[in-house]
Amino acid sequence: MLKIRFHGRGGQGVKTSSRILGRAAFLDGFIAQDSPIYGAERRGAPVVSFTRISSTPITERGFIFDPDIVIVMDETLLNDWLARPLEGIKKGGAVFVNALSEFPPPEGHDDKLFITYDLTGRALEILGKPIISSPAAAAAAKITGLITKSSILEATAEELAELDLKDELVEKNIQLAAEVYDAISTPVINTQESGSITSEVSPLDYEPVSYEEVIHLDIVNLGNSALRRTGNWRIFKPIVDPQKCTGCLVCVVYCPDSCITLDENNKAVIDYDNCKGCMICLRECPLRAIYSVREVRVYA
Amino acid sequence: MSETRFKTLRDVPLQEYLAPGNPLCAGCGATPVLRMFLKALEGRAVFVNAAGCFTLLHVYPYTPFKSSWMYTAFASAPAGAQGIRDALDILIEKGKIPPEEDIKVVCFTGDGAAYDIGLQSSSGAIERGLDFYYLVYDNEAYSNTGFQKSGATPYAASTATTMPTKLQKEGHAGSKKDLFEIWRSHKPPYVATIAPSHIVDMLRKIERASRYRGPKLFISFTPCPTGWYHDTSESIRISKLAVECGVWPLKEAIYGEVRHTYAPRALKPVEEYLKTQGRYKHLFHPERQEHVIKAIQENVSQYWRRVAKTEKLDITIPSP
Repeated sequence: MLKIRFHGRGGQGVKTSSRILGRAAFLDGFIAQDSPIYGAERRGAPVVSFTRISSTPITERGFIFDPDIVIVMDETLLNDWLARPLEGIKKGGAVFVNALSEFPPPEGHDDKLFITYDLTGRALEILGKPIISSPAAAAAAKITGLITKSSILEATAEELAELDLKDELVEKNIQLAAEVYDAISTPVINTQESGSITSEVSPLDYEPVSYEEVIHLDIVNLGNSALRRTGNWRIFKPIVDPQKCTGCLVCVVYCPDSCITLDENNKAVIDYDNCKGCMICLRECPLRAIYSVREVRVYA
Repeated sequence: MSETRFKTLRDVPLQEYLAPGNPLCAGCGATPVLRMFLKALEGRAVFVNAAGCFTLLHVYPYTPFKSSWMYTAFASAPAGAQGIRDALDILIEKGKIPPEEDIKVVCFTGDGAAYDIGLQSSSGAIERGLDFYYLVYDNEAYSNTGFQKSGATPYAASTATTMPTKLQKEGHAGSKKDLFEIWRSHKPPYVATIAPSHIVDMLRKIERASRYRGPKLFISFTPCPTGWYHDTSESIRISKLAVECGVWPLKEAIYGEVRHTYAPRALKPVEEYLKTQGRYKHLFHPERQEHVIKAIQENVSQYWRRVAKTEKLDITIPSP
């Protein structure tokens, strides 16, 4: 059985991606299973979904803790301690990362194959939107070495039609999926089949806690949400042109995330650690003093 | 009108009471309203939050607030507010909190809690004359759970549970409840509608409301990029259009007396507003549903013809 885990951000098409892959495997005669999981969070927050592909009936259910292939649809997730996309991946497994350029495997992951492709950039060019469900599924399909091109394209068309997309957009998705399928080469994946997870449940060591201690576990660090760094959600980055900015406060007032302030020269300053890239500031600026660029980052 | 400290955007307090980094969607239409609310109250408040999108503001161990927050079940935010108000009053009376600290109790709920599930508890709180603020962020559906229809969903909107079908081509067949009127019928000291695009109007209303003791209720228009299918950058634009097209009237009622705080000189056709959102896409594609667009326009025009007459306003109203 091949286990594939998709990591992405809400709105990128993570769930659809695992569905397309599952359907394509089914079309090729395999038994397939897919399921998403998302926590109590929104667009931009980490989302995970799973696909299992097998030639014999699949009895395993639930989360995939030991994937053969991991698809990371947003490179900033590699740094996210809540998402931890590389956790549990088998030795010799493959990691696909949607990134602008290649980078060396992160520490402790030399034994895995890393494959990169700029899916978001191509999606923006072809679809005009940073939604990468079909190309990510195509990348996964090619990496498995099991799924044919015709099946992945057929599965893309069927899944997207179910989402009520316009024919023209479905066509563009198929074009993009085909491009990615052709561009990526199938790596030699030679993972050790672990069979079932054998690790035993080990009880945590703890000192008995008194009732007083428990009820004092309050949040005392008020306003600490800035530590979350929602800046990783961004695909485009707003930039203020200080020559044009007059400090009129429009962007400061309308920013939904309290991320814009004025500096000592009365110019708008954006908190990039937390700006989610909604671009309300750019849209509302009466002087057009804000422009946007594609966010470029390389995981190091 | 009486004196106000809010005349232009320049008068918006720069002190920030909501920290960045909350996990709500990018481009959320509710958080600008929340920010302004906190600024107007200078952060001196205890918040009571019913289940809804704002639940996510406070995901342990993170909080964007610098003051206390209590989370209640869907139906019971105003009941929770009553408990907190009583506790504060008792602490003040015992001398444990100085009265000049002037801590307010503020409920936040979405339209699901305000229009449907918690309607009875807010009715009870208003009837008891509870001294609190109530802010509804009305995104016209149960957005937190996947955009199912609520009592606030307007006619012809497509939601997860009112998708256009062969037999029901227009989407939602019912119409939006008028919560402003439901609340106004209780004759509370203050009820108002606000919109995230009209910041000065909003701040003035919060300021005006603060002069009254008792229930002070606000219903905020809240564009939802995730559920309404529009670009995240469009939230404020759509709010402006909703006001200019007359879909979202900005008004207040003091002890039941209604006054419109902003009336566009000439209402824009509602079509301009409808076209900005994916939830109304089926009215234009694959074929134009003229009678539905006309019905929406007629509904809005009728409202404003009545307002123009009773408040003696000079408004150009489109006739369908």
